[in-house]
Amino acid sequence: MTAPSDQPRATMSLSPATLQGLEARAAAVDESDVTATQADDVDLAITVRDLSAWYGARRVIRDVSMDIRANAITAIIGPSGSGKSTLLRCLDRMHEVVPGARSSGTVSYQGVDIYDPRIEPAAVRRTIGMVFQQPNPFPTMSIYDNVAAPARFNGLVKGKAAQDELVERCLRQAALWDEVKDKLGHGGTSLSGGQQQRLCIARTLALQPKVLLMDEPCSALDPIATLQVEELMSTLKADYTIIIVTHNMQQASRVSDVTAFFNMGEDRAGYLVESDATRTLFTNPKNQLTEDYVSGRFG
Amino acid sequence: MASDAVVVFAPTSRWRRRKANLFAFLAAFAFVLALIPLVAVFGYIFVNGIHSLLSVDFLIQDPPADLSATGGGVRNALIGTLEMTGLASLIAVPIGLAVAIFAIEVGGGLARGARFLIDVLAGLPSIVVGIFVYASVVVTQGHFSGLAGSLALAIVMLPVVTVSAEEILRLTPRPIAEGARALGLARWRAVLSVFVPIGLSGIVTGILLGVSRAIGETAPLIFTSLGNNFFTLDINQPMQALPLLIYRNALNSGFATARDRAFGAALLLILIVFGFNLVGRWLTARRRLAGSSR
Repeated sequence: MTAPSDQPRATMSLSPATLQGLEARAAAVDESDVTATQADDVDLAITVRDLSAWYGARRVIRDVSMDIRANAITAIIGPSGSGKSTLLRCLDRMHEVVPGARSSGTVSYQGVDIYDPRIEPAAVRRTIGMVFQQPNPFPTMSIYDNVAAPARFNGLVKGKAAQDELVERCLRQAALWDEVKDKLGHGGTSLSGGQQQRLCIARTLALQPKVLLMDEPCSALDPIATLQVEELMSTLKADYTIIIVTHNMQQASRVSDVTAFFNMGEDRAGYLVESDATRTLFTNPKNQLTEDYVSGRFG
Repeated sequence: MASDAVVVFAPTSRWRRRKANLFAFLAAFAFVLALIPLVAVFGYIFVNGIHSLLSVDFLIQDPPADLSATGGGVRNALIGTLEMTGLASLIAVPIGLAVAIFAIEVGGGLARGARFLIDVLAGLPSIVVGIFVYASVVVTQGHFSGLAGSLALAIVMLPVVTVSAEEILRLTPRPIAEGARALGLARWRAVLSVFVPIGLSGIVTGILLGVSRAIGETAPLIFTSLGNNFFTLDINQPMQALPLLIYRNALNSGFATARDRAFGAALLLILIVFGFNLVGRWLTARRRLAGSSR
């Protein structure tokens, strides 16, 4: 963890507000010290230690420890059943919403354990946003409200003018504004699949998160829409830490800076085989399993 | 060449085609059979009741003290029915929706217990509901009243509203529910602003089902609102209702005027239920957004 030394950890009181405070501090560091954070290239957003997760009695991931770089795209690849989605869902506490699901180990964001009992899960999810496999805009809301309402409900925006500004900014960030600016009152589900997925990205961005978790965001999309979402991710990484689960190795190699390879163990629980710079992992992996997987010999 | 086509696309055997036709015929026959009582009942009431309804006096006059006398209308019963059913809805709908939301969103033993009791309530004969309200409200207060009638109707409505709302809310697609969760929305906010709007037409249909059930009930009113022959808006007075009026007049169907009054009131009741359903459908259909496929 690269917490600045002039702000000792001992003074941090863990409370729901702490995450917000840490974000503000992290933002300040980003602005004042951009060169430093880029230069040493080890600015970490999320630290995972000994993370295991269960559905009922079945363990689905085992003892995962990994570091996730800030302002980079980390791809998580691996065969079906290797726990990729479960890992992602543990990073914003969405795993626990499934009845009977639990986890152990620690996940820290900016040095704060997101599983600390004093932290609200909802606060974690606002800071660490998630985009799902199936585009899931709210069907009874307009395009405008799909973006504005969650931010409004969370008390992040007040008043018509501020909302208009937020909707336009987030739809522009999601590269959707030009396609929908004349029909903001139309239903969110009237859009095509690719547009709906970008709408969901815009909706998540409206909460001003720091991290974007994307669970196979392109698997329901056609190749053109996939390309648009991939381009969007490359643009967004300047401001966000992105973690993407993908079945598509070409996609991982195209968009990501770091790739983590997961496999299913003999106990049927997923585990991290290795994680490295994407180019290294695809061309010169350390582990034979990784090489077999990326060269298409299994999975 | 024809024989080649038969080889490539083997035709359905005559036996299979006959079987398919037979089942199609049986299904159509059952449909017609089910329709017969519906059409017969409505047709009979319509033919016998329409001439009473066509007179304006029928809606704006109260019935004569002597049911066998000519003239008079059903104003007191119409207003009483609307008032008591309305009050019953005000009681049953919020409670029913709250129980449904609690059962879905919170769950646990308390929710299961509440749901079990609601199921028991649904199976209770409505006359038992009437006796219960008689013993607990009418006897305590010392007089029959519209309020007691409303409470009885609310108890009849409650399980219908609860069960249908719960089933509709349970159908909220999981991706949508998880999406709301992942956006950090409070649970009550997700329910009220996302899940309820999605299920709105189903929930409204359930409410209308409850209203339709309550509006036609006679048994719970016999010992509670009792009925009377004069007009009142006071819920502390005994109050007339259309089913009670039908019941009392039909008992005197030896008199042509009482019989006609009963048929007119029955047709009016059917039209009110029909009207409620039309308005409900119109209200929920209107909310669809431009361009939505739903």
